[in-house]
Amino acid sequence: MKTLLLKLEPLIWFMFGQGILIGTILLTGWILVVGVLMPLGIVDPANLDYTRAHELATASLFGVIPLGQLILAALLVLPLWKGAHHIRSLLVDFGGGERDGIVGGLLYLVAIVGSGMGIAAVVGL
Amino acid sequence: MAGPAHPHSMAPPKPGRTRAAPPQMPASWWNTSRMRTYLLFDATGIIYLLVGFVAIRMIRALAEGAGAWQAAMQSLENPIYIGFHLLSLISVIFVAVRFFRLFPKAQPPSIGPLKPPPGPVIHAALYAVWIGVTVVMSLALAGVIF
Repeated sequence: MKTLLLKLEPLIWFMFGQGILIGTILLTGWILVVGVLMPLGIVDPANLDYTRAHELATASLFGVIPLGQLILAALLVLPLWKGAHHIRSLLVDFGGGERDGIVGGLLYLVAIVGSGMGIAAVVGL
Repeated sequence: MAGPAHPHSMAPPKPGRTRAAPPQMPASWWNTSRMRTYLLFDATGIIYLLVGFVAIRMIRALAEGAGAWQAAMQSLENPIYIGFHLLSLISVIFVAVRFFRLFPKAQPPSIGPLKPPPGPVIHAALYAVWIGVTVVMSLALAGVIF
């Protein structure tokens, strides 16, 4: 497993890097409005009812580029890779590297499954 | 003719006892301020993984239809979700501030003939993109624009 992770390291680091950069940039507004301001009633949730949410999510640029779905896919998928890689790093710091192969493999498997679920949800819009 | 470097090419022919003391981890290694910040930075990974799955749940609900979306939005009013999202917001801001400070330092001195812009320019650009995207996205989600 450890050998496989080393071979996949460029891909893992690419996804982790995009997760920490693009994921962070996209998550801030999402969490602020959907996770905090609307539940607290500071912003009216009716402004993001089903019709409008679906319109935003399926908005396209020039009628060709599915901008809403691309942004959503990045928002759903990339944070999972940042999360998986940093949890792996945290577990190495506290638990040592002996089980890193299996722990890292499991964490990236969670990220792969989550990515599949996220992409399927976005495609299904 | 130059050959590929071998990682053990500089090793002594016979393994001997090193004169350096073996590295030892101090018992309070996790309690120093630099280490604590570094560990907190890593620990935000837990939040990112969870918030990613919450967002996936929301979009799956949106794909299911109006009823599921309405129920998912209402579930976010649970105080546990609000507390989790407040913690997530703090985590995301912490990651952004720390990562954007580290990002210019991690740039190579040059990529081919091109040199990256000065560190403060990269730093300012990252902040501009982050704040710009956050403002546009927040206004769009809140129904102010688009």
